[in-house]
Amino acid sequence: MLNNSKYLDKIYHYKGEWDVDSQCGLKISPAKDGKTVIIATELYDKNPGTSVTQWNTNLATVLCRENGIAPDKLIFIEHTPDKGSKLAFYNETFYKVDFEWDGDKFINPNWKKISKDTVENLLKE
Amino acid sequence: MKFKLIYPKWEKLEGQTTFNLPPHGPVVFAATLPEYVDIDFVDENVEPLNLDDPCDFVGISMMLTTQIKRGWEIADHYRQQGVKVMFGGISTMLHAEETLQHADAIFLGESEGRMEKVLDDWRNNRLQKVYNFMNNRPDIALVGPARRDILNRDLYYHKGVQMVDLFHASRGCQFSCYPCAVSYLGGRDFRPRPIHKAIEELETIENNRLFIVDNSLAQNTEWEKELFKAMIPLKKKWCSHTIEDKPEVLELAAKAGAWYVYQAVFDTSDYIKNRIKQYHDFGIGVEGTILLGLDNQTEDDILRLIDFLLEINLDLAEFTVLTPFPHTKAWDDMVKEKRIFNFNWNDYNAGKVVFQPKNMSAERLQELYHYAWDTFYKDETQNQKMFNLFRKVVDKELEEGTYRSRRMDLANTSFGRKVERKVANL
Repeated sequence: MLNNSKYLDKIYHYKGEWDVDSQCGLKISPAKDGKTVIIATELYDKNPGTSVTQWNTNLATVLCRENGIAPDKLIFIEHTPDKGSKLAFYNETFYKVDFEWDGDKFINPNWKKISKDTVENLLKE
Repeated sequence: MKFKLIYPKWEKLEGQTTFNLPPHGPVVFAATLPEYVDIDFVDENVEPLNLDDPCDFVGISMMLTTQIKRGWEIADHYRQQGVKVMFGGISTMLHAEETLQHADAIFLGESEGRMEKVLDDWRNNRLQKVYNFMNNRPDIALVGPARRDILNRDLYYHKGVQMVDLFHASRGCQFSCYPCAVSYLGGRDFRPRPIHKAIEELETIENNRLFIVDNSLAQNTEWEKELFKAMIPLKKKWCSHTIEDKPEVLELAAKAGAWYVYQAVFDTSDYIKNRIKQYHDFGIGVEGTILLGLDNQTEDDILRLIDFLLEINLDLAEFTVLTPFPHTKAWDDMVKEKRIFNFNWNDYNAGKVVFQPKNMSAERLQELYHYAWDTFYKDETQNQKMFNLFRKVVDKELEEGTYRSRRMDLANTSFGRKVERKVANL
């Protein structure tokens, strides 16, 4: 599923809800206008803890801090990879997540489904 | 020290036969309490809860999301009286943040080897708000035997017939199924109990009919076979979730007393048809579990599925509506798409539609859910089909000399309530 995924450069470990050891796939890439694209890939069976979706505000906050990304320069994408299952809910999806910034952290995520082409265009910029 | 352990009641599903099984979470938890603790257990589903009984500490064990609001209500009452309340159990873990608002403490994770510390904290007035063992699972060898002695046994009889006792031989699940929170609750590692410990516990259970509640026994073939081999001499009869579909495993399961299994029926394929036939070939009954409302289901798909179920000779069927429980992929997907319109946890009983389905209206899905139940049980009611399945286990028990007749002193009660028993004219 994740071998050779161009949307994943490394496995990122984080403490999820109740400090549960969690992990996701991560790609950080510059985009235009000084923005940065972060693609967080849900690892399903390989993620023993909190899902990217459930932890996205915390993840986005920490990743911005760790990588020196200004909150208003973040483009955060949640990626669920194709699990190779005949069940449609394991198809590949991309959601762009917009957050509010409360001065200290991201809150109130709002998801918008985007196409692979959109993601590709973002990564090319 | 008097520890009041409470299992809150919940509203049962409309139109379905209600059975109250002796709850498993509380008896497993009770086994983790030190011996000096005097446990007073109340299952509110079968007996009234006296909120004025004096007690030192209250534990509320919750399995279902549909129990939690009642659990909170009970806790609020005790806390107003100055009694400390701790929550634990599956739905405490799924709804931890909200439950915290009603608790002096919540316990997250598995309590084996941990309760002495919790009680010590309580005694010294330093009870922690959160006992977080989500990342720290105990040695599986510490598990059991469960404290089934805390149950008021006579309340788990229906017209003199004892309900199955629940038992688990493993924890955790390596699978990460769409609607399921088990891997969040019990971890992604399959943790089988040592066989001898599982058998030791089975030997303590007087009931000869069981429900093995493991998430899936089909996670380690060798362990599964060893377990079944070891169970054969005990001559128990049991139901469970999926058993591995290898003939040698099924043969051992049958010899070990497999009565029937819960088998997910997710399409109308030959795979499913053959799976069910395979169970039947080994004398194992099948209760199909059918989830309605998935995104790949249209109304036609559901109607076809219902017709299919009538063709494949299922012993029983249980229909549920997809319910996006927290910490599942179903929840994640629905939240992203803003498709959940009902967050009243009382309605999260897998019988009410709480989200917008992809291919039909919520109302139509609700109608199809009722239609499924009505259609499957049109020619033979659920009670009749259950009786047929029950007869199969009685026949096996009669053959083996393990049959126990019903308790006539409880023949006119059902879960503690008086009922009229219809006896056929012979």
